[in-house]
Amino acid sequence: MKQSMTAVLERNTTFTADFTTEPYEVAWAREARWFVRTLELDGEAPSLHLTTQISPDGLHWCDDGAPEQVSGEPSLLSWPVREFGHWLRLRATLRGGDPKAKVLIYLALKS
Amino acid sequence: METTHAPAEDFRRALIAADPRLSKFNPLPRILAFDEFNTGTHGWTELIGNHDGYGNLDTVDKHMRDFRPPQLSACDFFDIGTHGAMSGTYALKVATRPVTGHTGVAIRRLTMAQRGVIQFETYFTYKSEAATAESSLGNTFGDVAWDGNLHPSEAQFGAFTIATDLCDGDGIRYHCVMRYQNTDLDNKLTRRWVYPVVPEPTPKENLHNQDNLSPVEDFTAPNPEDWQPLDQEPQYLCYNEVPTKVNWHYLRWQFDTRTRTNIELQVNDRVMDLRDVPVPQYADKYEGLENLLNFYVSVRTHSPVRNFLFLDSALISVDW
Repeated sequence: MKQSMTAVLERNTTFTADFTTEPYEVAWAREARWFVRTLELDGEAPSLHLTTQISPDGLHWCDDGAPEQVSGEPSLLSWPVREFGHWLRLRATLRGGDPKAKVLIYLALKS
Repeated sequence: METTHAPAEDFRRALIAADPRLSKFNPLPRILAFDEFNTGTHGWTELIGNHDGYGNLDTVDKHMRDFRPPQLSACDFFDIGTHGAMSGTYALKVATRPVTGHTGVAIRRLTMAQRGVIQFETYFTYKSEAATAESSLGNTFGDVAWDGNLHPSEAQFGAFTIATDLCDGDGIRYHCVMRYQNTDLDNKLTRRWVYPVVPEPTPKENLHNQDNLSPVEDFTAPNPEDWQPLDQEPQYLCYNEVPTKVNWHYLRWQFDTRTRTNIELQVNDRVMDLRDVPVPQYADKYEGLENLLNFYVSVRTHSPVRNFLFLDSALISVDW
């Protein structure tokens, strides 16, 4: 039987500035998929831009090279990640006037 | 607990001794769970407070909504790459945020088929996160100045806790809890075993108290004065100087759900008699938690540095 795990990295958290999620170790996993539930998105033409980041050590990070995902309204976004090494996190930027986003962020992993 | 050495018991012990995976443990007669984290999380999951009937997570107690998901860690570090665990490549890692007072908690949920002696064993280690040039708090922290051997990382680790949530068929709910306090809240090394003298506040008690809760509240026992030292003897563990060396420690903890009392705690070469350590009960009887048998481990940082508790493996056994 293969292994699987879903981790909730942010839970109903409200952000008013750019953020990154906490480092998460995924060396055991072959595939990963982000699920980002934007519960609320407020401000003037607000948008939430999400980029997968990878790391050799959980300390130093770079983008994984895949296109960023954009949430412009309350929604559920999902995208897969492959060949990611041992660590994953999300880098999020908020755009618009006085943007505010309330999110749930899931990382679904399988061996 | 006294053990018997009848032939059947001798045979059982010989079988355990002959099994390389079990022989590092000392289980009671019935093994309820044997968790080698090289093969998954085995039901250890993030603890979270209760939510309302609408599934609204905003109703979770504000200090119990961010205990962080446990990780299956290869013990990767910036200086040597993959360290690996004791029984295989992966260990269970419970991690805090880099926020003073933040707590990470992993819980395992069972029930009791009978009351009796219960034993929790684990091989564990604890570390602070390694620093980078950007995140470093310098070469001196708390009592510790880097001298080539000693490393400030050791003073950046706060505390780890082994704990239970227990409720028997009579509706009496209580917690057996022991905490290794590596540093006090001023980041001075104390290295003491401490225990709480009050039961953990419940979501019902905090239902109309959210404005008074801090996200970094010590949920097990919020008031530092409610933690008492077992004795004045520090226990020196093998942090091994830098944050990137992992040495596994043996821990064996017994308590009795028949008498609702602690028995003893062994951590490597130190065995502590816990029979006089009080086990606070809730004043009111509980419904819906019949025979609850939960174990949790937590890690709490006293500095703005991520703290980690790693478990290589755990074994839960009983005398039923």
